[in-house]
Amino acid sequence: MQPSYNFIAYLIYLPVVILLTWYVAHILFRNSKVFMLDIFSGRAEIAGATNKLFETGFYLLNLGFAFWVMTITADIISNRSLLEILSTKIGAFCIYLGIVLFLNLYLFFRGRRISREKARLAAASANTAPRE
Amino acid sequence: MNILAYLLYLLITYLVTVRVGFVFYRNGRIFILNLLQQDAALTDFINKILLVGYYLLNLGYAALMLATWDTIDTWTALLDSITAMTGKILLTLALIHFFNMAGIYFISKRNQHFIHP
Repeated sequence: MQPSYNFIAYLIYLPVVILLTWYVAHILFRNSKVFMLDIFSGRAEIAGATNKLFETGFYLLNLGFAFWVMTITADIISNRSLLEILSTKIGAFCIYLGIVLFLNLYLFFRGRRISREKARLAAASANTAPRE
Repeated sequence: MNILAYLLYLLITYLVTVRVGFVFYRNGRIFILNLLQQDAALTDFINKILLVGYYLLNLGYAALMLATWDTIDTWTALLDSITAMTGKILLTLALIHFFNMAGIYFISKRNQHFIHP
């Protein structure tokens, strides 16, 4: 019986996806504090709390998805198929992570735009009120 | 080998649930405080109840999932099934979490509308 490479594939896949998720979350949520402060118009406490909640959700969603799709049903019997299957899996996960990253960025930009419009409307109504 | 898988799975699920629950507990307080117009005593009470409810829901769900487990004969199958089951639990947690955040968002929006029509 030939030895199966499935276990090795799992052992490579798990650290790679965990590190990737950690890295992306680290970069995204270190830089999103600025957006959050903008969205909540400078209230640091609620901005920090929202940032932390989004970060936790990001980890749960992406690690959950990564673990869920880990199963390799085929029996891997050669180095070549090990590499091919692993690169397919990790590549697909990278693309998924990229899509989630851009979705998050879109949400941040949208929130900032809405809160800026609100601030502009409030400033405009404050300016017009005394004149009437 | 199923026993080993169950023990590992329950350990991981327990650790993740408690850790995540604590993060929600600490960071969710300010949102409830805003919703209840700065009523600190009621906020702490509701926050505590939410935390306990969350633990019960999650640990109960994790324990229920044990019944659906396949028989495990090899180390590969062990690693595979533990990871897949943990992934499912994490996805469920993420889903509940995003539902909660959407709920808080809509309730606070409605309240704002109510105060400043």
